[in-house]
Amino acid sequence: MIISLNWLKDYINLDGITVEEIEDKLSTSGLEVEEITDYPKTLDGFVVGHVREKIKHPNADKLSLCKVFDGEEELSIVCGAPNVDGGQNIILAKVGAVVPNGGFEIKKAKIRGEKSFGMICSESELGISENHDGIMVLDPDLQPGTSAAKALGLDDVVFEIAVTPNRPDALSHIGVARDLSAVFGRPFNYPELKLDENKPASSEQVKISIEDTAGCSRYIGKVVRNVTIKESPEWMKKRLVAIGLRPRNNIVDISNYVLHEVGQPLHTFDLDKLAGSEIIVKQAGKDKKFVTLDSKERQLKADDLMICDGEKEVAIAGVMGGENSEVTESTKNILIEAAYFHPSYIRKTAKRLGLSSDASYRFERGCDPEITKWAADRTAALIAELGDGEISEGEVDIYPNKYQPKIVNLRYNRINKILGYEVEPARVKEILDYLGFKTESEYDDSLNIAIPSYRPDCEREIDLVEEVARINGFDLIPVKPKINVTLGVKVDESAYLDNIRTLLTGMGLNEIVTNSLLNSATAAKYGNPIGVLNPQSVEMSHMRPSMLPGMLSTISKNLKVKEKNLALFEMGSVFNQVGEGEIASFDDFSEIKELVIALTGNSVEHAWYTADDEYDFYHLKGIADELITKLFVDNQLADNYYSEGDDFYKYGFRKVFGEEVVCRGGLIENELTDSYDISQPVFVFTVNLTALKKIQPEEKSYTELLKFPKVYRDFAVVIEKNIDSGEIISDILASSSKLLKNIKLFDIFEGKSLGENKKSLAFRLEYYDNAATLTEDKVEKEFWKVIDKVKKKFNAQLRG
Amino acid sequence: MLEKIESAVKDFNAEINNVNSTETLEDIRVKFLGRKGLFAQLFEEFKALPKEEKPKYGQLLNKEKNNASAKFDEVKDEIESKSVSYDSYVDLTLPGVKRKIGNKHILIQTLDEIKVFFKGLGFAIYDGPELESDYNNFEALNFPEDHPARDMQDTFFVNDNFLLRTHTSPTQIRLMKTTKPPIRAIMPGKVYRNEAISAKSYCLFHQVEGLYIDTDVSFAELKSTLVSFAQYLFGADVKYRFRPSFFPFTEPSAEVDIWWEPKGKPGRWLEILGCGMVDPNVLDNVGIDSEKYVGYAFGMGVERMALRKYNIPDIRLFFDNDNRFLEQF
Repeated sequence: MIISLNWLKDYINLDGITVEEIEDKLSTSGLEVEEITDYPKTLDGFVVGHVREKIKHPNADKLSLCKVFDGEEELSIVCGAPNVDGGQNIILAKVGAVVPNGGFEIKKAKIRGEKSFGMICSESELGISENHDGIMVLDPDLQPGTSAAKALGLDDVVFEIAVTPNRPDALSHIGVARDLSAVFGRPFNYPELKLDENKPASSEQVKISIEDTAGCSRYIGKVVRNVTIKESPEWMKKRLVAIGLRPRNNIVDISNYVLHEVGQPLHTFDLDKLAGSEIIVKQAGKDKKFVTLDSKERQLKADDLMICDGEKEVAIAGVMGGENSEVTESTKNILIEAAYFHPSYIRKTAKRLGLSSDASYRFERGCDPEITKWAADRTAALIAELGDGEISEGEVDIYPNKYQPKIVNLRYNRINKILGYEVEPARVKEILDYLGFKTESEYDDSLNIAIPSYRPDCEREIDLVEEVARINGFDLIPVKPKINVTLGVKVDESAYLDNIRTLLTGMGLNEIVTNSLLNSATAAKYGNPIGVLNPQSVEMSHMRPSMLPGMLSTISKNLKVKEKNLALFEMGSVFNQVGEGEIASFDDFSEIKELVIALTGNSVEHAWYTADDEYDFYHLKGIADELITKLFVDNQLADNYYSEGDDFYKYGFRKVFGEEVVCRGGLIENELTDSYDISQPVFVFTVNLTALKKIQPEEKSYTELLKFPKVYRDFAVVIEKNIDSGEIISDILASSSKLLKNIKLFDIFEGKSLGENKKSLAFRLEYYDNAATLTEDKVEKEFWKVIDKVKKKFNAQLRG
Repeated sequence: MLEKIESAVKDFNAEINNVNSTETLEDIRVKFLGRKGLFAQLFEEFKALPKEEKPKYGQLLNKEKNNASAKFDEVKDEIESKSVSYDSYVDLTLPGVKRKIGNKHILIQTLDEIKVFFKGLGFAIYDGPELESDYNNFEALNFPEDHPARDMQDTFFVNDNFLLRTHTSPTQIRLMKTTKPPIRAIMPGKVYRNEAISAKSYCLFHQVEGLYIDTDVSFAELKSTLVSFAQYLFGADVKYRFRPSFFPFTEPSAEVDIWWEPKGKPGRWLEILGCGMVDPNVLDNVGIDSEKYVGYAFGMGVERMALRKYNIPDIRLFFDNDNRFLEQF
């Protein structure tokens, strides 16, 4: 919302207070100033210029060469606008001026060989409207050299204020003035009303009734006769322009003016177009079409609140008037509507129609039912003044549910308890008084406060505490040197994932964070995804059912920028619908945490000490195993391997806990990587973290350090190529005594010398006895037992 | 015997002078000087010689073997210094052998900093789901149905009753329903807003919710905590202000601004978080006596903090995950 400083000063004396102080106080009392436009400042260097002569640019068809008088001298200016002409008064940006729209500085220039000392401006360049159809042509009576700010009526400072939805009372100049009055401790006043009323009375000219009193609790109609529709005077136009409104005619301008003055939306009907001179407020009754005054056809629903005359709908209540009853140039008699419509009715209709007007914006936040009469009178007075109208006596005021102020008890000690500092009772009363909250009765420890009709947000004690706090200023709330600390065991539900992050980054992986919204086709490929009703775009319509697609598209994007060596991981939530049908409860979908790791490209890049080392399956397995080991669950998970395709993997492994697959890893199928334009192998490991976290880790407990030396024995065997090393190792472990502590496969060799389909595996066995130094004999015996077993079982030949 | 010795010396010299790699050097060692090498064999033969011949050949054999060993060591040194020598000359300017440590995502690093502060003050950390009920996300938090307050947060809906949470505040509701006061916790997580993606906004971001409920919690307590937090994150001399604002689930509500002066640009107030005293309606909704218990809550955006702290110009960089970006932090 835009507030003009000049306009504010109609209601409150702000002498001696700077713009900066006003800005600061507005912001720190709850009306955040988002932007200040100081027009005299931003339009410095822009003046009224008089075009004395226009000739065609000798070297360009679409340009002209103008001689412009700026009040002191005649300047040569090249202009491209088709509407520029000799004899016009225009806005001239002089050399050195900074154009508000775009922020560039005007410099001396040579355009197609002709010198130019400035620029003739359009409205859009000045930042006062979107209009860039040629240059602005001004009143011919203006003196060349007059500052643009003055000539345009913009000798004003405007504040753009972000009004929070709980403060409809502040959506007007008077509302803002009321807050400033409390903040600065200065009185504020409504403007004086001068009503020169005539017969016949309003009530003799119009009949008003409300059928839906829940939707409309007050409706005032007031008639003004014999008006002249014409342009508004300069003072009003300036005010409207300053707050970003485009002046139209006196009637439209006045209703806009009163709305921005006091916050009450008004509507004006051409009284003579109302069938039966009648107004009925009721629901549309059935779905139908209605043309609003912007000439657009709107689809109404049966329960939309409408303003009707004796025959038809004439306005969508609180949202927009109808074309059929609009005030036009030929209008003579006007019916002013000032009403209170219920917020939820207006919001529902405005939202559905996608039609947010200044009126609906205010009604849906809650207007002041008590200000309607004043607003109608103010409108009538202005129409009489600016449109030569005759005000009809009185008004028709249908007010079925009269506002009854709610009385709220406010305890001083509650204020102190909530805020943590003491506010003097006298100060509490003073603040509330400035804001229009009347003290109904007063006790030693509390006040009974009547809530004013313009504060629908206030209905409880806490709401009043807030009023006191914000006006007194949050600055006064003390910063203490100590705070309370509550002892007790502290849960950290993020610790598990944070530990995994530390482990994985320690192994050289970078963490990524991807969008959890995917397109429908991608999402469907990875699970049973959940869609959103109102996606931002088709590319982001479904929640990810798996972390894999985000990872693959990240790899794909990186390859495009030649980042080919990647070790990445991400942890996040994945979402899957459980079963079919509508999601009606938390049981109808799953949200679990998943980890995805991906390796692709080189693990180590060649350097003076090493050659390239490409990521392969064993790098992935190594990281996976180390992670699981460091989480102390390795003994509880069993490894399964598969060399045939498993969903997205060409080959790989699973880690299972009982029946549940907790982790999966392997080489991603070509078909899938191809679909992401990835042309290098990608190894992926995924973990269901929710399941993994449930597995109780082994307790960390001290094991006695070795006191005796270890004894090692090496052997190599030649076996069939298709025998897995893991099989041999588990067999050796199973058939050895507990003296054997470890087996390490330290070499694999294949070569013609071994024969077709043969390979050599070399193992190192580690023996250790907790109780004593091992004797050679004992080890030899154990060792040869192993070798015999392996030879027999795997048809192995012992090598050299 | 003499011939044998001379022949061995001759062969050794021929081979040792042609050696050019450590591998062949090792072969020569085994062939001549090893335990079963040529010299060892000659010593075996020497043992069988008649007693009178022993001194003569013994001396010769020892001398030649020692010569060969010396020669071998000499050549070995020479060859090793030809490859990379760690003994003779050390090029200290060669880069070290790379040990790679990965990076946590910069958003997570920023979140970690926030967590460290609040953990130190005795806050627990809780997690909550991203796919939430409309009740937990709005209604329980005192957002009336069909109220313009709902427009403050553009929402992705799954259906009438479920949505992608627009803030981490529903985790407050979950926590208060399951835990008795005193409650002191932060609740970080992803939240979603139906906003067009641009340099300044993304369809999701990370938030950290804070909640403290006890019998003696006040706005002064909230302010003291958050001022200390601002000082922790932005320096002890940070200039701040608490500005009244509106959130349906807190009252009084405030936004905290810090004074920000980017290099070469004029300073301005920058909002870093929202906070307030928990609205009694919220406490009532979760069955906590709002007359006895008072609480405060706050919420902050992690992206916003990280953008500023690390001078990142575009929020999309966080979610593009360009490895060159990831490696920077």
